[in-house]
Amino acid sequence: MAKHHPNLDFLTAHAAGSLPLAQAACVAAHLNYCRDCQRLVDGLQEVGAALFEQGVAEPVNERLLDTVLARLDEEPPLHFENVRPAPKAPPPILQRLMRGDFADLVWKKVTRTLSISYLRTGDPSHEFALYHIRAGGRIPLHAHRGDEITLVLQGGFSDADGDYHAGDFLFRQAGEESHAPTALQSEDCICLGVLDAPLRFTSWAHRWMNPFLHLRPG
Amino acid sequence: MSPEGKHGQDKPGAEGRDDEWSECLVAIANSGDRAAFTRLFRHFAPLIRGFALAGSRLSANLADELVQEVMIKVWQKSAAYDPARAAASTWIYTIARNSRTDLFRRLQKFDTPLAAEDVAPDSGSEEPFEQVQQRRNGQRVRELLATLPVDQAQILAKVYMEGKSHAEAAAELDLPLGTVKSRVRLALQKLQLQMAS
Ligand SMILES: [Zn+2]
Repeated sequence: MAKHHPNLDFLTAHAAGSLPLAQAACVAAHLNYCRDCQRLVDGLQEVGAALFEQGVAEPVNERLLDTVLARLDEEPPLHFENVRPAPKAPPPILQRLMRGDFADLVWKKVTRTLSISYLRTGDPSHEFALYHIRAGGRIPLHAHRGDEITLVLQGGFSDADGDYHAGDFLFRQAGEESHAPTALQSEDCICLGVLDAPLRFTSWAHRWMNPFLHLRPG
Repeated sequence: MSPEGKHGQDKPGAEGRDDEWSECLVAIANSGDRAAFTRLFRHFAPLIRGFALAGSRLSANLADELVQEVMIKVWQKSAAYDPARAAASTWIYTIARNSRTDLFRRLQKFDTPLAAEDVAPDSGSEEPFEQVQQRRNGQRVRELLATLPVDQAQILAKVYMEGKSHAEAAAELDLPLGTVKSRVRLALQKLQLQMAS
C-alpha cells in the first residue's frame, strides 16, 4: 500500500484533464497502486461532471445531428480494451510506453549502480525516464533545478527523509535541498522520474557530469 | 422504506432525468436505437458545445468538431457504459474531457503514443458497495455545488470547464497562485472531497 501520494492539486488537475501529459501518466501509474487516490479522483471527476451538466448549453445547428447520424453508419465501432493488470506487472500506462517489460528497454549506464532509460511520451516540456538502481546502490547527491516527480515501481529506496516502496509518489520542487537516494539492500530498485529541468549533481566527484545532463523531453 | 425508494419519491428531478439518459445509452448498446441516440444528442450536444467553448480556446468550428467526435464515441462505446458504475452525464463528461484534451494536443502538434483515454480511463469500481458509494458521492457533489460561494465556484469552473491549470487560473483572475490553490481546496472540502489522511 503506497504511503506517499500526489497532493490534492495534482489529483484535481488530473481529474480536470489539465495536467501535462508526462505528469498525468505518472499520476495514472500511481492510481494503479492506490485505491484511496483512485476513489478521490473518481469523486473529483464528479465535480467536473456536475459542472458540465449544469453548464451553458450552446445551441447546436440541426445539420450537425444529421452529419453525426450519417457518420454512425460509416465508421465501424472501435475496439476499446479495459485491461486489468496482473498485480506485479508494471502499470498499463507504462507497459504501453515501454512496449514490453523493463528487460526489453535500452538502458544507459550512468554510474556503476545507476542506469537510465528514456521513454517517449510526446510531452514537449517534461522528461520521462526510468532509473534502475542496483540493490544498495546510490544515486549521486543532486539538487533540483525544476520540479521532480518520482514514482517507485519496483524495490525501494531511502534518503535522509525516509523509506519509499512500490507505488510511493514523491514530489520535489525546484530549489529543494540536495538528496542522495540509496536503493534498499534487498533488491534492485526501478523508479519513474518526471523532470521539467535537468538534475544538478552537487558532490565534487560527480560535478563533471552536469554539462551532460540535458533535459530530454518528448 | 429503502433510501432509494424514498429518494425516488421526493426527488424525481436530476436523478430521474439521469435515469432517462442511462436508459438511452443502454438502448443504444442493446439495439443501436437511433431514436434514443437522437434524444441524447439533443440534450448533450449543446452541453458539449458549451464545454468546448468555455475559456474560449476553441473556435466555433472546432467546437462543432468536438461535438461530433464525442457523440460518435458515445455511440461506439455505449456497450462499455455500466449504469451501476456511473451516471450517464458523468460517463459522457469523461469522454468529452478526454476528447478535448486530445484536440488541444493535436492543435499543439504533440506527437504522442498516448491518448487522453489511456491516461485517464473510466475507472469505476467493480464492487457493488463501492459503486453505491460512488453514485452517492456524485449525488452529494451535485447538491453541495449549489452552496459554494461565488469566488470558489468561479475557480472550479476555470479548473474544470476551461481546463486551466492553477497557474493559468491565477494569471487570468489576477490572483496569487496560493490564493487559487486554497480556494480550490476550500471548495473541494465543502464538497467533502479530501485526501484520506
Ligand atoms: Zn495514493
